[in-house]
Amino acid sequence: MISQELKEVILKQLNLDDFDLKDETIAPEVPGWDSLNHINIILAVEEKFKVKFKSYELLRLKCVGDLQKMLDSKLNK
Amino acid sequence: MHEFNFNIEEAPTLWKRWKLNAERNPDRDAVVHWVAGQEPFRWTYKNLIDTAKKFSIKIRELGIKPGEVCATIIRHNPKFYPLYLGISRAAALPAVLAYPNPRLHPDKFRQGLEGMAQRSGLDYILTERELEPIIKPLIEKPGSTIKAVYFPLEWDLDGDLDLKVDNEVEEVASQIKDTDPMLLQHSSGTTGLQKPVVLSHRAIMNQVKNLGGALELTEKDKIVSWLPLYHDFGLIAAYQIPLAYGITTIQIDPFEWVLAPVLLPEVISKEKATTTFSPNFAYNVLAEKIDEEELEGLDLSSLRIMVNAAEPIRHDSHEKFINRFKKYGLNPTALAGLYGMAEVTLGATLTTPGEPIPELSVDRNELSHGFMKLADENSVVRVCVSSGHPINGCDLKIVDENRNEIEDGIVGEVAVTSVSMFDGYRNYPEKTAEVVANGWYYSGDYGFRWKGEYYIIGRKKDIIIVAGKNIYPEDIEDVMNGVEGLIPGRTIAFGEEDTNMGTEFVAVVSETNAQTDEEKNKVRMNILKAGMSIDIIIHKVYLVPPRWLIKSSSGKPSRKANKERLTSGTDPQVWSR
Repeated sequence: MISQELKEVILKQLNLDDFDLKDETIAPEVPGWDSLNHINIILAVEEKFKVKFKSYELLRLKCVGDLQKMLDSKLNK
Repeated sequence: MHEFNFNIEEAPTLWKRWKLNAERNPDRDAVVHWVAGQEPFRWTYKNLIDTAKKFSIKIRELGIKPGEVCATIIRHNPKFYPLYLGISRAAALPAVLAYPNPRLHPDKFRQGLEGMAQRSGLDYILTERELEPIIKPLIEKPGSTIKAVYFPLEWDLDGDLDLKVDNEVEEVASQIKDTDPMLLQHSSGTTGLQKPVVLSHRAIMNQVKNLGGALELTEKDKIVSWLPLYHDFGLIAAYQIPLAYGITTIQIDPFEWVLAPVLLPEVISKEKATTTFSPNFAYNVLAEKIDEEELEGLDLSSLRIMVNAAEPIRHDSHEKFINRFKKYGLNPTALAGLYGMAEVTLGATLTTPGEPIPELSVDRNELSHGFMKLADENSVVRVCVSSGHPINGCDLKIVDENRNEIEDGIVGEVAVTSVSMFDGYRNYPEKTAEVVANGWYYSGDYGFRWKGEYYIIGRKKDIIIVAGKNIYPEDIEDVMNGVEGLIPGRTIAFGEEDTNMGTEFVAVVSETNAQTDEEKNKVRMNILKAGMSIDIIIHKVYLVPPRWLIKSSSGKPSRKANKERLTSGTDPQVWSR
């Protein structure tokens, strides 16, 4: 389940009011989420939650749910 | 003076050249196939040639004939390289196409491929099994020009060579003349307007000699690239040139690089690479989007030349890049600029390796009126970065609208002539005639010459270049015709400067009857989704009331005039987001 906070960061970066982000949602399904924006989304998530992701960790992300899990693990949730 | 040792005559076609390189340096790495977090797969010249022979035998056994076009649609895979060489050995023409992004609607991909197949004359598709359900209906369709689809990654290559067929294929390869077509590539465009460029062995060999010489390549050089091989920059600079010259190329997956840009400095450091190529946006990404911790311990001092091309070169991007990486051993004079296009194989101009790139601070206002005037204290300054001077075998001129040459410092269209000129757009004589006259290719790019250096500042055509990828506004405007909430035929697309990323982003302006904010947001979402269906991300939407758009003399909305009106004005009728 995608947290409201993560959803807000992503939607703000994509300049969207709302979008139904589910665990299985992949970037190409979301308006504006291309590879260049992806870099900015990750930086925005790092900034908001004060975490750092390693590049190789990011390569393993397949869907938004993976990003949530990786964020949770960094936050020790 | 640098002596570039490359004798075309001793092996004038690509297969002969690759074979010669394998004989001279069998154990040298030809291609290092890089995958993040794994040991790279290394093709030595000998292994690469041996496996290419096996692929060529399969191609022969399938009945693929000399001169037929084999389009490859394959993701980053170590088998791709010998397959490519094998196609060439069988005297067929490889054409590398992009693997479709999941964003692209399958119908749109199929339509684009069908259009391309008919115009470019694609005979066979060599791809991955995953695309079979999408591509199969194309072949079964009456009147299809595609004869078959094959899955070469699944071919069993373990057995011994069938010597009889091997000899037959070698005989075919030996008959190839240097004037014969070697490859087909698509110059630009998205779904409908790709222009198929055919290049001969001779054009490519000349490019290896002339661009290789201008780059001052030596046997000690090692190239590294994340560029996709369906793009001429990647295919020629980072694949054809090193393999023909007999040095190593390290290939990073473009999809991995964009998610983990640190891969490029990491590979340079680990493999002591000397030469790399990137479009301008990559300098911003590398300078600003990598965490300091990840760069710890990396050493870029081996990097001798890093070439910026495929989109306008921006002074700020270079400055950011140097500032970020000089502490990791980057030599600032490693940065270089190139200008070129698929129609002349790749390179037309290059800055001098090892010297700072010439830059001019000019008066922005005068430049917008077509004159280069060095800036003074009253000027709003624009820094123009040189793309270099002509490489050997190439000549350039700046011309006016009547194609007459004009003097230094005046902005005009860039025309190029080259010993690496293409043989015309395949099956497209009328398009060829539009851009080629008396041996000169008229590029549609605007620029000026100053003290022998060429400065490219814009485009006559309205092409949008996002991260080095050319996008035709017509493709976007066409797909907007069926979008709910828009007035048909009253949309235009254009590029806006993206200073953050060092490239352009796509903007769209549409006339609509939508009144409320809620209605306009809904229309905007429809526009974004329509862009997604053709794999184009629209970053900014302007909505205007009916009859707002300025028309050109042809009666269609003018891209240039409306862009200027939107980006400079503050019309309260304009809604944007």
